Formats: sequence, structure tokens, C-alpha cells
Amino acid sequence: MLLDVRDLHVEFHTRDGVAHAVNGVGYAVDAGQTLAVLGESGSGKSVTAQAVMGILDTPPGRITRGRILFRGRDLLTLKGEERRRIRGAGMAMIFQDALSALNPVMTVGDQLGEMFVVHRGASRRDARARAVELMERVRIPAAAQRVRDYPHQFSGGMRQRIMIAMALALEPALIIADEPTTALDVTVQAQVMDLLADLRREYRMGLILITHDLGVVADVADRIAVMYAGRIVETAPVHDLYKAPAHPYTRGLLDSIPRLGHKGRQLYAIKGLPPNLTHIPPGCSFHPRCPLARDVCRTEEPPLYEVSGERGSACHFWRECLDGLGH
Amino acid sequence: MASDTEPLLAVTGLVKHYPLTRGVLFRKQVGAVRAVDGVDFTLAQGETLGIVGESGCGKSTVARLLCGLERPTAGTVTFRGEDITRLSGKALKAVRRNIQMVFQDPYTSLNPRMTVGDIIGEPYDIHPEAAPRGDRRRRVRELLDVVGLDPEYANRYPHQFSGGQRQRIGIARALALRPEIIVADEPVSALDVSVQAQVVNLLARLQADFGLSYLFIAHDLSVVRHISDRVAVMYLGRIVETGRDTEIYDHPTHPYTQALLSAVPVPDPDAREHRERIILTGDVPSPADIPSGCRFRTRCWKARERCALEVPALAVPAAFRDAAGPAAHASACHFAEEKHVVPPEESRLNGNGPG
Repeated sequence: MLLDVRDLHVEFHTRDGVAHAVNGVGYAVDAGQTLAVLGESGSGKSVTAQAVMGILDTPPGRITRGRILFRGRDLLTLKGEERRRIRGAGMAMIFQDALSALNPVMTVGDQLGEMFVVHRGASRRDARARAVELMERVRIPAAAQRVRDYPHQFSGGMRQRIMIAMALALEPALIIADEPTTALDVTVQAQVMDLLADLRREYRMGLILITHDLGVVADVADRIAVMYAGRIVETAPVHDLYKAPAHPYTRGLLDSIPRLGHKGRQLYAIKGLPPNLTHIPPGCSFHPRCPLARDVCRTEEPPLYEVSGERGSACHFWRECLDGLGH
Repeated sequence: MASDTEPLLAVTGLVKHYPLTRGVLFRKQVGAVRAVDGVDFTLAQGETLGIVGESGCGKSTVARLLCGLERPTAGTVTFRGEDITRLSGKALKAVRRNIQMVFQDPYTSLNPRMTVGDIIGEPYDIHPEAAPRGDRRRRVRELLDVVGLDPEYANRYPHQFSGGQRQRIGIARALALRPEIIVADEPVSALDVSVQAQVVNLLARLQADFGLSYLFIAHDLSVVRHISDRVAVMYLGRIVETGRDTEIYDHPTHPYTQALLSAVPVPDPDAREHRERIILTGDVPSPADIPSGCRFRTRCWKARERCALEVPALAVPAAFRDAAGPAAHASACHFAEEKHVVPPEESRLNGNGPG
């Protein structure tokens, strides 16, 4: 297994108390596989990724429990220097907002080349050549000229390609993409997702795709992990999950998408709001919004039940949910 | 199109250019950003017109022009038979009561130092004739109730609310003056998926209850389809295709619409294999430097010489003029032809979907 996250807990100390952002998350990704982590804002999907990358702000964040095994080594036990070597060469991250992730006062060529200077000890000249090569690989037209341009001189889609090029630079085994296309227009989003899928295949990389978009997940992912209030509530191969969700939250999300046959009718809406992370409801954290909730849900936190060999659901009544009850 | 009803609002030849100038002492106009470049549409009472398009296509500028937040460079906006672009002073103020706006970002469009009650009641300070002073508190409480919030919340501040609740406050404010038209600019795109559906349902219910007309601007094609009677697709300051929702979604004839529809990720992994995706090359050109002829030609796979020379008119293409079918709707393309981009598999699945 390339990456194996086990029972990860992350909390933030804020003025309003301790926010429990990640509460026992576990997921695994193999080489050549795409795992989608789906969740709404505050579900803990990005915090988990930051913990894996080792870029969590500490303080206020704190990893209180868990293991992050990368090729069998627990990253949480590594020293700063060792950790830094894995970041970039072993795993790399693509952020949502390329404009704020890139340095505005450095040319893109220097930023791309820096990777080779710092990690591989390349000469400046060599680094520049590698930068052009990378830009060509992510299909930026006229790369040899544009390597001298600054980030603001590129369009949103092209900037996101530069981010991808930077992530690819040291040919990492794992890429974490945090909402890589959310800031882009639909037609450009399609270009970027296509590129990402091609490159993943070409390099046989593992890809963790963090998103809130059920459409994007359906398009590219092999497996999916759905997060709610800092926990994984359902995990399954993509086809199985869309066909028959085994958690009421997943079902609610799928049903709330406007679809052709539903025109003029009310959309299904999950009632209420996601919980405040400083006051997560006891028992199942989804119970105040759940149509299937019963007494046991208010007191007993559901474990991730095994639905089948490849599927898990953190719902006491996953069988009923699979059967489509409660709607 | 919706000729059976007299349009409440008619927009013709709407243009908004922002001048680009050079020099400090002697300002010289060196060009213009053509944000909106000749837009026509109508809106009937109780109808929803959806406007879709990517960033920079001018859809938000259209919204601002309609609400009188910007003055058009040219063109007319006729509301109940009166051109509101020529009005000023009292007459303009009176018309503005009838066209209200809901903004995209519920975090920046509410004043953080005002209570929710003051925010919703502020329109009454500007239009005192709309509600007598003594009646305002009751009205505000009523409005909170209408949008599904507890009337007791009137004394709280915006930061005490979630994004979805704030958007409800913005909607209540837009309803305060009992307008006939609501211009909603990306009203749900800043919200979480589970909350989006709540707000879309609220907008639909308010329309039914108050007979509102909506101009619904969004980039999410599935949300627009759900709520709209008619749809207009914008590209670089112009409408390139318009028609009833099924005409646009199931029988698009403009290549840009086809590319846009094919690029939308479908929430159905089985559709992966039998979907034909049209991946456009390049980016949208700058609105300060719009291509000659058809403005989409630089990214179009069908472009020929004629496209660079002749601006295609927004009309029913000649090929479909005699046919009465759903392909016979206005499309600004010299080589318009039908292409099914949403796989039939999907419509079958969705027709029997859960509910």
C-alpha cells in the first residue's frame, strides 16, 4: 500500500474551544489508484490532507492520535529533515487557488526550477531546461517563451497547469489534489481533469482527489470516501456507491442534485446544517439531520460497519439505507 | 418565444463598454472592455430566465445593468413599457423598487455591523412609502418567517449565521419592497451542496407564492435547468443560444453550448464510458480584444473562413426554420447543427431516479 492513514485525529485550539476537525479517519491509496475524498466545508477533508502532507499549521492544529504510513513508514515519527525529503519527491500537493499558491514575484520558470535546485542540486541552467520540459508536459503552449513570465500573466487554467507541473516535477508516487478545478470554468475544468487523469496513468501515481463535487468524483475516481464532521461515514468503489449508497448522508447528497426527471418538483434537501466542530453531536454526528435516526443513534457512535469486502458504512441502519428506506 | 404573455421586462441591444485609457494629463481612450456587447431578451411575469456562461462572459454585468447599479453604454431596458435606462431621480427610484437583487456572496453582501432586522428593514428607509414606520418591525418578522428563519433572529448579527441562513437573509431583504423581478446572481454557488437544495427550493416556493419573475444567473448548468423556463447561453458579452430549457439542454445547436454541456461532470460513473466529451482548446479571449466575426471561432472546431468575416445573428438557423421541432430555436452560429451531448442513458436513469 502506498499510503495508509489509520485512526487520525486532529484538533484545533480556538477561542471558542477545541474544534475536533478530524476524528479517527482512515483511508488507503495504492499506486495507480484514484481515491476521491468527498465532503462539504468543515468535514475535515482538507485538514486530513494537510496532515498527510505535513503542512498542518501547528499550533493551532495538533495531531493527537493516528498513524500515516507512506510505503510502510510512519510519517508522524519522522524528523523534520526526513519529512521534507518525502514532501515533493514522495508526495506532492495541488491547491485550489493557484494564484495565491504561486509566488507572484518569481517567474514560473524559477519556481519550477527551484524544485530541481533544492532537491536535486541542479545548476540554474539545468533547472531552467527542466522547467520548460515540465511546462511542455502539462501542455502549456510556447513553453520556451512563457517560462520567463510571472504567474499573473497566465490565465486561471494555465496557472493550474503550472501547479500541476510543480507537483509532478520530482515524479512523486502520490499526488494530493485539493479541489484542483473548483476555481475554474467548466470547459477549462474539463481540460485540467483530463490532463490530470492522463498524467496519473502515465506515471502510475496514486491520486487523492479532494472535492465537494459529486460529478467530478463520478468522472475520475476508483474509490470514494465520504466525510462528515471529521469522520469517514462511507467508503466504497465509485460505481457501487452511486448505485446504492449505504449511508443516509451520502444518499441525501446524491438526491439533492437537480436531475432531469425532477424538474418543477422540490429538490430533496438534507434538513438542518453541518455541526459546529466544537460541539459535535453525541452518538452519530449526523443524527440531527438524519431521516433514519432512532434512539441508539443519539447515544452510540456507529463504527465503520463492513457492508461488503470493499465497502464500509458508519450507520447503524446501513441495511435499511441500502434498501432505499427512509425516503 | 414566450409570446403568449406580454413581457414584463424587455432588453434590447444592451451594451456596456468600460473604456481603457492611457495618459494622465491628456486621457486618451485606447480601447474598451466590451463586457456586454449587444444583448436582447425578454422576461414574462412569473417566468424564470436562466443565464449561463463562464466567468467574464458578461452575465453579472447584465445583472448590474438591470438593477441600475451601472448605466448602459447603449440599449434599452423596458419595464412595463417604460425605458428605465432614461429615467433618473424619483422616477428611477420608483422603478428600482420593482427590480431587486440577490447577491452571490452571503458573507460580503450583508453589513456586519447591522442587525438582521436592520438589514432587512433598510429598504424601507430608502422607500418609506413602502411601509409605514410603525409597521416595519412586524414586516421584518414576517419576512424572516417567509424565508424560513425564526423571527426572533431579528436582533442578531450576520456573523451568527451560516452561509445558507445568510443567503436567506439576503433573499428576505430583496423581498422587502415586494418587487416583481428578482435578479439572482449566482445565489447558491457559495453554499455547500446539502444547503444549496434548501435555497433552490425556497426560491421556487417564493416564486409560486408571490408570482415573482426571476433572472437566474449561474454557472451551474444543472441548477439553472432545474429552476428555469427558458435559458440563454452567454459567451464574451453576447447571447449565443437561447430557447426553452429542453431546447437548449437536449437539442443544442451552437457549438459552444454543446461543448459546455459535454464538459459538465455527470454524477453517474456509468456515464463515463459512453460520454462524448468536447474538450475546447485554449482560453476565452479577452473582452478587450474580441475576435472578428463570430466571437467563438478561435475555440471552435467548426470554424471556417466565413466565421471570421460575418457576425452570426442570434436567430433560428436556416436549416431548422421550417421544422417545428425543438432544434428550431435561436442560435448564433453559421453552421448550427444538432448534436446530442447528454447521453440518452442518463435521461433514462434520471427519469426513474429515486424520489
